[in-house]
Amino acid sequence: MALPPPDPQFVLRGTSAEVHTLHFYCGGQEPDYPILFSGSSNGLIHVWNLKTRRVDTILDGHGGKSVYWVEAIYGRDRLLSQGRNQKICLWDLAEGRNTVTDSVFTENVGFCKCSLLKVAQGHWLMAMPGKDLDEVQVLELPSKTSVCTLKPEADAKPGMPMSLKLWQPDFGSCPFLLAGYEDGSVILWNLSGGKILSRLACHQEPVMSLDFDSEKTKGVSGSSEEVLTVWSLDEQQNLKVQKTHKLVNAGIADVAIRQDKKILATAGWDHRIRIFGWKKLKPLAILDYHTATVHCVSFSDHSRPSERLLAAGSKDHRISIWSIYNQTSGALHCPLETRKPD
Amino acid sequence: MAVFDTPQEAFGILRPVCVQLTKVQTTENVERLQAQLQTVSDSALQELQEYVLFPLRFALKTPGPKRESLVQCVVQCITSILSTTCVKKQDLLQELFSELCLCLSSPSGLQPPAPLSEELKLTVIQALHVLMHSAYGDILLTLYQPSTLPHLGFAVSLLLALAEQEKAKQIKLAALKCLQVLILQCDCQEHHRPLDTVETRQCGNLFASFLPGISIALSRVITGDIKQGHMVTVSAIRLFYQTVCLVMADEQLATITQDEEKPSVEQSRLSELVVHRGPDWVKSTADKLSLLIHKIVEFASLHPHWKVRMELVELVHLLMLKCSQSLVESVGHLLKAVVGLVNDESNEVQSKCHEILRSIAELRTVAENRALADVLSENLHSLATALPRLMNSQDDQGKFSTLSLLLGSLKLLGPKVSIVLNSAAHLQRLSKALMQVLELDVADVKIVEERRWGPEDTLGEPLGSSQHGKGQKKYFRFFIDERIFLLIQQVCRVLGYYGNLYLLVDHFMGLYNESVVYRKQAAMVLNELITGAAGLGVDVLHERETAVSTEDLKGTITSILEEYTDQANWYLTTSIDTEGTSDELTVKHSRVRAIPRGAHSSSLISSSSPSSDPNPTIRSMNSNIWQICIQLEGVGCFAYVLGKEFRLLLASVLYPVLEKAGDSTLLISQTATGTMVDVCHACGYDSVQHLINANSDYLVNGISLNLRRVAHQPHASRVLEAMLRHSDASLLPLVEDVIQDVLSALDQFYDDRASSFLGVLSTLVAALEVQAPPPEPEMDDSGAEGETPLPAHAQIAKDVMERCIHLLSDKSLRVRLKVLDVLEFCVIVLHLHESHLLPMAHRAWPALVTRLINDDPLVVLRAFKVLCTLAEKCGDFLRRRFSKDVLPKLAGSLVTQAPVSASAGPMYSHTLAFKLQLAVLQGLGSLCEKLDLGESDLNKVADACLIYLSAKQPVKLQEAARSVFLHLMCVDPDATWLLLNQICCLLPYEPPHPSLQPVKLGGMGRQRTEFTDNVLGLLGELQRRETAAFQAGPREAPEPQPPSLTEALG
Repeated sequence: MALPPPDPQFVLRGTSAEVHTLHFYCGGQEPDYPILFSGSSNGLIHVWNLKTRRVDTILDGHGGKSVYWVEAIYGRDRLLSQGRNQKICLWDLAEGRNTVTDSVFTENVGFCKCSLLKVAQGHWLMAMPGKDLDEVQVLELPSKTSVCTLKPEADAKPGMPMSLKLWQPDFGSCPFLLAGYEDGSVILWNLSGGKILSRLACHQEPVMSLDFDSEKTKGVSGSSEEVLTVWSLDEQQNLKVQKTHKLVNAGIADVAIRQDKKILATAGWDHRIRIFGWKKLKPLAILDYHTATVHCVSFSDHSRPSERLLAAGSKDHRISIWSIYNQTSGALHCPLETRKPD
Repeated sequence: MAVFDTPQEAFGILRPVCVQLTKVQTTENVERLQAQLQTVSDSALQELQEYVLFPLRFALKTPGPKRESLVQCVVQCITSILSTTCVKKQDLLQELFSELCLCLSSPSGLQPPAPLSEELKLTVIQALHVLMHSAYGDILLTLYQPSTLPHLGFAVSLLLALAEQEKAKQIKLAALKCLQVLILQCDCQEHHRPLDTVETRQCGNLFASFLPGISIALSRVITGDIKQGHMVTVSAIRLFYQTVCLVMADEQLATITQDEEKPSVEQSRLSELVVHRGPDWVKSTADKLSLLIHKIVEFASLHPHWKVRMELVELVHLLMLKCSQSLVESVGHLLKAVVGLVNDESNEVQSKCHEILRSIAELRTVAENRALADVLSENLHSLATALPRLMNSQDDQGKFSTLSLLLGSLKLLGPKVSIVLNSAAHLQRLSKALMQVLELDVADVKIVEERRWGPEDTLGEPLGSSQHGKGQKKYFRFFIDERIFLLIQQVCRVLGYYGNLYLLVDHFMGLYNESVVYRKQAAMVLNELITGAAGLGVDVLHERETAVSTEDLKGTITSILEEYTDQANWYLTTSIDTEGTSDELTVKHSRVRAIPRGAHSSSLISSSSPSSDPNPTIRSMNSNIWQICIQLEGVGCFAYVLGKEFRLLLASVLYPVLEKAGDSTLLISQTATGTMVDVCHACGYDSVQHLINANSDYLVNGISLNLRRVAHQPHASRVLEAMLRHSDASLLPLVEDVIQDVLSALDQFYDDRASSFLGVLSTLVAALEVQAPPPEPEMDDSGAEGETPLPAHAQIAKDVMERCIHLLSDKSLRVRLKVLDVLEFCVIVLHLHESHLLPMAHRAWPALVTRLINDDPLVVLRAFKVLCTLAEKCGDFLRRRFSKDVLPKLAGSLVTQAPVSASAGPMYSHTLAFKLQLAVLQGLGSLCEKLDLGESDLNKVADACLIYLSAKQPVKLQEAARSVFLHLMCVDPDATWLLLNQICCLLPYEPPHPSLQPVKLGGMGRQRTEFTDNVLGLLGELQRRETAAFQAGPREAPEPQPPSLTEALG
């Protein structure tokens, strides 16, 4: 007998537009309540109170153009948002304000989401697509000074950057950038030299999304084809394909590794969210709820593991919230049969 | 009579009689003295007191047997002297005291009292009483010396014997009264000199010797035959505690030291009599007293007379107040008494008990005196242990007292409850006892049978009554008396008030999950625990030190509610008539949880669920119903506890409750409705409607998720219906969102679910119709078909209509009927958007035609109604189709059916065929008009309807047929005129000029026929209209007023 597929814990409605990006802020102490930021195709950012499951505030700062990246900075009081109006806005949300205090104009018109990395107290690096199509620019925040511009050699031709991930092996050490490109390759950049350390052609199609586990030095990427690729970084800073997982339906819009590095979630064009064990890429579950492409997945940063949530935003205007596999200890058991999509 | 004021005069008067009496002791002489005494003033008599008393005392002391009458007479005389004079001398007092006592003793002196007449006994007792009152305070105290112990002892034993053995109530009472005076506790109006501490202690020392005798004898009196009258018992109880207090008062005992003056009495005999109230003595005396007190409490607390119980309460009060340390062994009994009487049927006793409990609590004797707390906690343990047995064996009254006792013990323990319950043994016993006592009687078939009828929901009604604190009346296995339940409720609340909430909730949650046998009771207890923890509806003696914080309450409540609304506890088999719910649930249950804990548990059903019982019995269903109701009541309680804070929990709770409000079991739906009202009040909403409206997003969430489960779809659609019924246009975006879920669920589970979804769709489109924005001029007329975006509500209607087209040919009659309803609503909602409606109508047409001409009459009827609406909205779009596909068939059936109805009896009007004819006739007229039918079609209609103008047809059909012609008159008045005149024409139409041809009409000169009346009526109407139109000028004739369609079809 088939097991009933799990249901979302709840569903957030009311964006009235496709949901492109999600970002949790749940680490606060009482009386702060957990928050989910969502960015939609109508240019609005919704701030959801996860306790009441209702919208607290709506931020309108991208001129009706799609918002495709949001991330909190300085706790919950500041928010960075990137929109298709070629602006990255810094919002002040403290004490009920909701004003844009600063913004960066991006000359790029692609879909590539920014990546943020905290390098010191009060200092961040932000990687964003650059002026030239194949260029990535890294800024220091809050000063907005350019740290470096990463441009592949003229003959490399990886195409546009599609997906970025800044990381550093240890806090305070030299940061690296992993970037997925239009031609399906993933490139490891050394920020200090602005040099390519390694390049791995892991997809035939553009890399839609990637995430990286700096502890195990391995990452995962998804593209518009039906393959999920896990690659690792060896001591010599070489990227190598470790494993691929063939999907039945093509198209992975987003991948996210949970903070505890136990599971991986993918957002599928086939309307489905897939959960894998991160260690062996073992398929654990297919979460079937949305009625259109799932654009993004995100794990919450609740300090208590048992409260951790998974959120998925979809073209169907809904955000589904799931509470799964959040037992604190022990192996992941009772895996769901991975079902063949019909 | 002359009064002699001076002693001299008095002496002169009294002397002769005194002398005479001394010489000859006869009754007559005593009476003479008595008579003379009346003439002497009190002051004079006081001077001569001893003189006058002498002959009397002499008479008593004369050796040898005396006549009783003489003794009585003498004693009476002494009494009368003493009552007006004071005894000022120690000797006199002591002597009189002994002499009077001797009057009662038997000659042998060993076995008092002597077998004397009752009158004499009474007289002597009264004399003693008077004597004690006539003595000066200081003088009186001289009686209380170690040296007088024997005298006192003699008197005490005499009086006790009288109190105990006499038959006459009067004597018993007098003896007891006298004893009371003797122990210096007289409560009469006269002034008694209060004793100082030292004197009190001396008296205490003295009476310590008598305590055993007095207490034993009194306990016998108290527990004696009830027939002795309550006054005796009351006096005896009072005397008992007064004596005990005198001797065992903690205050006194505390001042007694080891080397206390061993009384300075030389005689060793006396010193043996005197008791030293050292610790050992106190201990052993207290032990013995404890037995007596136990006996008294047991007896008196069940005494039928309230004054006795009242006196018992006084006893407890005083002993607790004064002797709680010395009598610590008895405290258990004492508390038991007062706690047991706290719910006494007498209000006086009740309030006294409350007062005492409060004062005990305030004194903190319980809280700070460890020994006392130990006693209480032991009591509690033994009571909890005995409770199950007692609940089986006692009658309701007994159970009531037992539980009163339990409640009282808990209240007195107060803050210590939490310490006591830290002992696993205590908690275990107590909880098991509660589980047993609260066992419900689930045999009643009615609970299972009673279904919800009538209107779909009652939520919208102005205000259901709040059920808080009452809940549904429950039937328990072990008791009937409602008061017992209230007691248990208090017990639980007191536990919640003082206890460690986490520990208690955890424990009872454990029982809830442990077995279905405990589940209902545990839920009841949990509900009350929380109420008590919030300090609501709980009656306590001392405030707790720290109240539970709202945050903690919220956390606890959240976790309880999670359990309550878990699938395994919320979806239970409650009926066997499966409108498809329960059986599916049972099939789908599964042991395995697909996602480990933390996954949203509601998606999975564990097999421990009672719903998995494949053959539910009445008992199990009744039990399940109660479980759901108790859980619903819990939701109400919790809302009450949290107030507006409960709003945060609505996200998870509102849906399940609303779902139950639509349950088909009456009890469940009633309870859930009550809960909705409670929640509404608690959260500060004006009405249930407001509550639903303001939280529709939560409901939509629940609906959407539940629609994904086949088994839950009927619930989900019920909730959606309820929501729609209470929502307004502001919710349209939300509704739009969830409707997509409904439609996709419908598409997915077409076959088996259509019926339940159609209910929702019908409510939905009905709501859309009501909420549709005010009509705007049709904008998309010129636009390409379907290109202009539709307003949301119209889009929904269109989506729904699309599904209806598929379902019009469903094989289930019910479904087809319902679809037609929905379809009609869709048409109404869409009518402003012709470019969308017409294509839909076009697509629906073939199926609709089939319904009209080739289906069950019921369906034809409904379909015709839809047709009429469609005609109203789509106008001439339908004309050709109608005249081609439908009209011939309709006209044909009217014609064939006409002879049947013409010759039918009165019962015919109840048949479906009749209703069909009626509906067609009533609708046809306006159809002709709306569709603007051509001439030949109109003729077809007229021909078919004409036969119904026959007087042989049922009146209603004639009426309906007339309405067709009234419509036809509007469309083509001339043709109608002609047609009617072909049938019947009374007026001779003379040509206005001879050159004109004479008018020849078919009806002229005809005999009166079955059609005459109706035709003439119609012609008259036509005439009237023409005239009116002529007079009004070239305006159009007024619209005919046929009966409205809905009215006719309804």
